[in-house]
Amino acid sequence: MEYTRKDFLLAAGATASVVALPGCSSLVTRVAAPAVPARLSEVEVAPDLRRALNRIAFGPRPEDLTRVQEIGLDAYVEEQLAPERLDEGVGCRLRLGLLDTLDLDADDAKDWETSNYPEVGRGVAATDLQRACVIRAVYSPRQLYEVMVDFWTNHFNVSQLKAECSWLKTVDDRVIRRHAMGRFRDLLGASAHSAAMLFYLDNAKNRKRDEDGGAEPNENYARELLELHTLGVHGGYTLKDIQEVARCFTGWSYKAGFQWRPGDFAFHADQHDDGPKVVLGVPIPGGQGLRDGEQVLDVIARHPSTARFLARKLVRRFITDDPEPALVERIAGVFRRTDGDIRQTLAALLHAPEFRQGTVRKLKRPLEYVVSALRITSANTDAGGVLNHLERMGQLPYKWPMPDGYPDRATPWLSGLLWRWNFALDLVEGRVEGTAVPLEEITKAAGDDPKTALQRLAHLVTGTRLPEPIATQMAASAQTSASAGTITAAAVSQWLALLLSVPGFQRR
Amino acid sequence: MAGHTSIPGQDRRRRRQGILRASGLQSVHVAPETGPRGDVLVLVFLRGGMDGLHVVPAHGDPHFRPNRPTLAPPEPGRPGGVVDLDGHFGLHPDLAPLSELFAAKELALVHASGSPDRTLSHFEAMQTAERGVSDGESVATGWLARHLNSAPSRSDSPMRAVAISDTLPKSLEGALGALAVNSIAEYRLRVPDHWGTGFTSLLTQLYGGGDDSLAAAGRNTLRLAHRLESLVASAYQPAGGATYPGGAVGDGLKEVARLIKADVGLEIAQVDLGGWDAHAVQSALVAPLMEQLGRGLRAFHADLGDRMRTVTVVAMSEFGRRVQENAGAGTDHGRGTVTLVLGGGIRGGRVYGRWPGLAPAQLDTDGNLRVTTDFRDILAEIVAQRLGNPRLSSVFPNHTARFLGLADPS
Repeated sequence: MEYTRKDFLLAAGATASVVALPGCSSLVTRVAAPAVPARLSEVEVAPDLRRALNRIAFGPRPEDLTRVQEIGLDAYVEEQLAPERLDEGVGCRLRLGLLDTLDLDADDAKDWETSNYPEVGRGVAATDLQRACVIRAVYSPRQLYEVMVDFWTNHFNVSQLKAECSWLKTVDDRVIRRHAMGRFRDLLGASAHSAAMLFYLDNAKNRKRDEDGGAEPNENYARELLELHTLGVHGGYTLKDIQEVARCFTGWSYKAGFQWRPGDFAFHADQHDDGPKVVLGVPIPGGQGLRDGEQVLDVIARHPSTARFLARKLVRRFITDDPEPALVERIAGVFRRTDGDIRQTLAALLHAPEFRQGTVRKLKRPLEYVVSALRITSANTDAGGVLNHLERMGQLPYKWPMPDGYPDRATPWLSGLLWRWNFALDLVEGRVEGTAVPLEEITKAAGDDPKTALQRLAHLVTGTRLPEPIATQMAASAQTSASAGTITAAAVSQWLALLLSVPGFQRR
Repeated sequence: MAGHTSIPGQDRRRRRQGILRASGLQSVHVAPETGPRGDVLVLVFLRGGMDGLHVVPAHGDPHFRPNRPTLAPPEPGRPGGVVDLDGHFGLHPDLAPLSELFAAKELALVHASGSPDRTLSHFEAMQTAERGVSDGESVATGWLARHLNSAPSRSDSPMRAVAISDTLPKSLEGALGALAVNSIAEYRLRVPDHWGTGFTSLLTQLYGGGDDSLAAAGRNTLRLAHRLESLVASAYQPAGGATYPGGAVGDGLKEVARLIKADVGLEIAQVDLGGWDAHAVQSALVAPLMEQLGRGLRAFHADLGDRMRTVTVVAMSEFGRRVQENAGAGTDHGRGTVTLVLGGGIRGGRVYGRWPGLAPAQLDTDGNLRVTTDFRDILAEIVAQRLGNPRLSSVFPNHTARFLGLADPS
């Protein structure tokens, strides 16, 4: 049995390795390279449309700007709220297909990495998942869905840095993806049963206090469940509540043998504290076994503090670092009335006047910055070398060590501008491994007159024209390197590097 | 967080004028240095909740050993035993490199010290510690940032504060000059050689205008890149036979030593050492951390030599651990822990703080070592005595500091 599985894995891997050879990655380029418009648009895109694309999506692609202008924002929002009706697209599928471990169960991924075949690198499963994150963010038409997957990935953070999570996170990612636009109670429950979460926050080690005294139940999961996943730290619970929740979850674990497949959750009745408990004032009767934990999840998923805490985080993600309490209350109300329907809560948020008309701009975090740069430049990427840049900027996906997820406010990221500028420089100069910007096509699409071309590019990337003295200097620097009446790809490369570095492109 | 100020609306005319200025580098306001500078403060943040009883065992307390049946090292004098300091406290054998610094009276320890935080959540407690506030108090700036903003000798160095990490720690949030880097050599703009100076000059203009935090951050970044370019031209050789251990704290302290010796105007540095959250198999988890910490501080001390006279190092954690070890040979979140203070101006060779004791009645109601010294008392004394900043009410608002007498005036 084991032999067969390994055999299969190696066969699959061998195929994938062949596909990954240069000849075949040019197949990906040929079939799935993003198109550059034949001519860059001179139509001004309304600022509110661009801002919406910066927030609903990981930034616009050139063709998104014209398309959303045509169909209108309402139609775009409706389309994005129903990702199941959107095809993931060949650009996504072909690139994801090159990642050997993406569809493996955790133990298979571990086997694969620890096999004696030298071509299989340690840590490849963790890297494959990070690459998949970037590939989907760049190429998937289901942009809002990918934004929400990122949101919940951070909300229910499981760091690949913690031992077996290097493989377990690959399976946990499917848990997040299955429920990212569904019902919060389902997502919360799936996370509570996920082997990765059981391992990461030590719930698998949580067992009742022995008869002869000894250790108390492990409180780690109980604490983060209340503080980070549901009520929020000021949500009105006490240390006693944490201890009672911990008792309710005693015996939650995974099956012996550490198979770590979905569905490998196990409840060990002999480790469960079956006495009566009280959680947030709600009596939990004795003798319920596994039902204790489920009842806790029911209570906290529907607690008003949870609605408020999640609404606040969503407003922070989509609108502003400093959410207005009135808007938070409104969104929390929708969350409560729909029994935690994530899609309907998002619909309310994306139709709110504060979202449509707000002028406050968020600072892009590194992942948002890198992906938006790859999208607006129609870059072709396998998301390999890109990861080195994300690591340097401090936001490699799934690597935040602590359970609270990457910060979603501007201040902690302000000191990292140099790394963004260096990414822009490396990107246009072809120095990001596995990534190329179609400079020739962009140059052709921009037109022949340097100043007009520059302003078209400026408008494409930042949504505004460059101020006059700077535009003149930039156009002049291009003319020195151009033959009469045309611009060169070398000039466009310098322009793009600068446009991707300006303050306006750091915000969304 | 409450108290966060929004970015003021941009004034179109002023922005235009800013862009028209020849160079953002020159347009940054330069405040002359006033008065002598105090020590460089190096903060080593031990993330995850360091078990003070593991690191500095109270081997003289009769309740220590019964609470730690598997975790306590053997008695002093036995193989692998506690390194005794004063008959009551000792160092874990993995921290033995620090005993010489203690004997030389440059290392002071403050036991049963810690944060006023009562949530025992890592994030809340780190926030409370790094913001430098009371439990539940919420402000948008860190205590190191408030020190930098209120210190009388305000310099214009673009390198006043550095965190050796990916992102800025909460202690430095609100200090615009503060930077997060992993190493000095990384801090350069990779403009292709054949591009000439056009790119940097245009970027400087584009960030030259604007009074928002993003534009200011851009200007700081450009200034610093320029300054560090010359520094990294030559390889670094630690002095005094120092050998830094590998890992976050050794690498971080080495970069900090280099910056101190390069006189770039560094006042504050923060280095993080995470991984102390040992809910299970604590001995195995924290042994490498203690080794890195002990050898790292020892190497830093040797490398800086005479310059340690004007350097103070504080190693602190957001909270300690439960006194009684758990069934997994680990410990759960607790309160009091130990804080390490090292420096030429420190009255070392002593364990400071009132020892509350480990008997059941002496612990708090959750079974934790009580906090008898608020970490702000230690930090405030260093701010006032070693960093020369008397404005303690700005640095630690709503807190009346009680000095322990562990620092000489600089």
